[in-house]
Amino acid sequence: MNDRVPVIVFVGQPNSGKSTLFNAIAGFKAQTSNFPGTTVCHAHSEVAWKDRIYSIVDLPGTYSLTPQEPQEKVVLTHIFKERPDLIVNVIDASLLCRNLELTVELLELEYPMVVVLNMMDLAEKKGLTIEVEALEKKLGLPVIKTVATRGQGTRELMDRVEKVLAERQTPRHLKYSGEVESRIKKLTERLPADFPVIANPRFTAIRAIEAETLAVDKFILDNNPDFKNDLDQVRQELSALREAPAYEVLAAERHHLALKIFEDCCRVRHARLSGLEKLDSFIMHPVLGLFLLLLVFAGMFYLIFRVGSPLEAWLLKPWEALRLGIQEKYGQNLLAELLVGLVQGIGGGVAIVFPYFIPLLLLMGFLEDIGYLARAGFLMDAFMHRLGLHGKSVPLFILGFGCNVPAIMATRILESRRDRIITALLIPFIPCAARTTIILALVAFLLGPWWALGFYALNLVVVAVLSSLLTRIFKYSSPGLILEIPGLKWPSLKNILQKTYFNLKEFIRFAWPILIAGSVLLSLLSFVNFDRLVNAILSPFVSGLLGLPSELGVTLIFGFLRKELSLLMMFQALGVGYEQLLSVLSRAQLLTFVTFVSFFIPCLSTLAILWKELGRKIAMVSVLLNLSVAVLVSWLVRLAFSLF
Amino acid sequence: MFGHRKEQTEAWPLTGRVCTLLDVPQGRKFRIVEIKGGPGLHRRLLSLGFHRGDLIALDGEALLGGPVLVKNLNSDTRIALGRGIARKILVEPADENER
Repeated sequence: MNDRVPVIVFVGQPNSGKSTLFNAIAGFKAQTSNFPGTTVCHAHSEVAWKDRIYSIVDLPGTYSLTPQEPQEKVVLTHIFKERPDLIVNVIDASLLCRNLELTVELLELEYPMVVVLNMMDLAEKKGLTIEVEALEKKLGLPVIKTVATRGQGTRELMDRVEKVLAERQTPRHLKYSGEVESRIKKLTERLPADFPVIANPRFTAIRAIEAETLAVDKFILDNNPDFKNDLDQVRQELSALREAPAYEVLAAERHHLALKIFEDCCRVRHARLSGLEKLDSFIMHPVLGLFLLLLVFAGMFYLIFRVGSPLEAWLLKPWEALRLGIQEKYGQNLLAELLVGLVQGIGGGVAIVFPYFIPLLLLMGFLEDIGYLARAGFLMDAFMHRLGLHGKSVPLFILGFGCNVPAIMATRILESRRDRIITALLIPFIPCAARTTIILALVAFLLGPWWALGFYALNLVVVAVLSSLLTRIFKYSSPGLILEIPGLKWPSLKNILQKTYFNLKEFIRFAWPILIAGSVLLSLLSFVNFDRLVNAILSPFVSGLLGLPSELGVTLIFGFLRKELSLLMMFQALGVGYEQLLSVLSRAQLLTFVTFVSFFIPCLSTLAILWKELGRKIAMVSVLLNLSVAVLVSWLVRLAFSLF
Repeated sequence: MFGHRKEQTEAWPLTGRVCTLLDVPQGRKFRIVEIKGGPGLHRRLLSLGFHRGDLIALDGEALLGGPVLVKNLNSDTRIALGRGIARKILVEPADENER
């Protein structure tokens, strides 16, 4: 073996626990959840095992090697172009039968490979007994049992990876039935000499047959007219054999191989309906399920408010005292102003963000981990159709309540570009954890929980109205819903904590320093009267149109970095402490400002991800859309208050 | 346990009768006879492990023309399908003891 770092890719069907396994091996790196399609771009890590370095790549889940969603194409690029040294095929053992179809397909590459039976605990609970030796023999591959959530089996896996690489073991593909195999062989022999071979000639021939009706097909054939005749003939022969399109014939061959292996290596004891399955029939019930969905979200926000509100009041006290103390001691000089800015920046993070942010992240992590998001998609599909989208967007919107950025990345699971664009344009209107924090900390804390709930409802109405408008502009029917509903599972505390930590780290590393620096900077600017200039420029808009104190103008600039900054910095801009806010702002003004800031522009990281995922044009459309909605809605809020 | 559709005991099973996935009662075994519709839909269902000849059962449905929940009894997986798609899947009743 040479000194080059071997590249190992994790390939498996969505929701088979690749990312959890990857995390167990590589530390806190990738995001996981119980929702198919969480890993939308690949995570990568260098891992040291017994004096050797391995480069491990966690690829998005894919059901097959025929790509259909944009995220699945990432997998193919990795496997075909950047030929890996070894494939770790991660299988959800509780869904062994279907997962084996991909295994059979991967085997055809004849790359060094190790199969991981993950979620063994779940499989056993389901009454599945898998004979590993028999499975190894059938597949001609090493098979390792793991429970990634508990880190079980990871050492055995790495040992096996090392051994397979050292001995350069390459597997052999499994044989289809004779009549199909002979046609593939015929085509393999006719492959033109200059034909781009992927992995091996047989695999390439299979790919070519299956490319029927895909865009790549035309590309292959335009360059090879002679081959076209051979290919067409083979396709026709295959099609005639089973009275089905050629691609289905091959898929059915793999399906039957998988079924056969499953029957030979597995015993199924019919387990009693578990508590979870009973719970699931309740969650998925057409009426009770919807009721529960409503209850879950209302309960979630109520809980966060009940936890956050007293905690916030308690945490605010020392910072408020410190601020007053500084002002009393040093008066109105530069140093004092800067210190006050610092205290408000740090205190804002501790006292306002943490009491709400952490509970929200924990609860969102819990819902994701048990597999509730896909179920919400199922229940809401009918409503989403009325808004021109379908249920597959629902889990993305719910993810957006946590943070807009991963939600926009996850739009890759949508098949049509039209749905992707609309969903990605709508996500920035979903109040993310940071904005929810503000809504709870300001609106609920100062005006009462009903106002916060009302604001939330307004927010959702805005999303619904926009959705029906946008889907009317981008016409053509949305493809129907096809969404896998993963099994409900008990939450893993480790997974939830990891995810919360992951999101919190982002806040502590990125947002909080900006908040503190911004707060200090604002003190400095106001000391040299620069903020007055900005306020004067924005004044016609801020006080003219929205009827707010013109001092708030300067905070909007910070709002572009992160939306919660504008709201946190309003105290400093207005020169009051948290609890005295209502002495300088009226209820109407507070709500108008919160409305405007919530919508006015996607925050910097959301904008960056929009740009990267869907291009500059869509990112610009998003900015314009947000700005116009913010102006319109906050003006309406102002109007409503002046009328009633 | 919470299935809201009533068991239609009289009419089923009528072996050999082909109908769409939308017309079948919940909980009974059916066999996929044909998947109509374009190659895109067809491939998608194939890759999710729904093939011709597989045993399936309707496991639930959402309100107001929402999707139906289909369970593949061969591979023990569940998918939600919009009604437009469910209409394109033709099934025939299967013997309750078949596997």
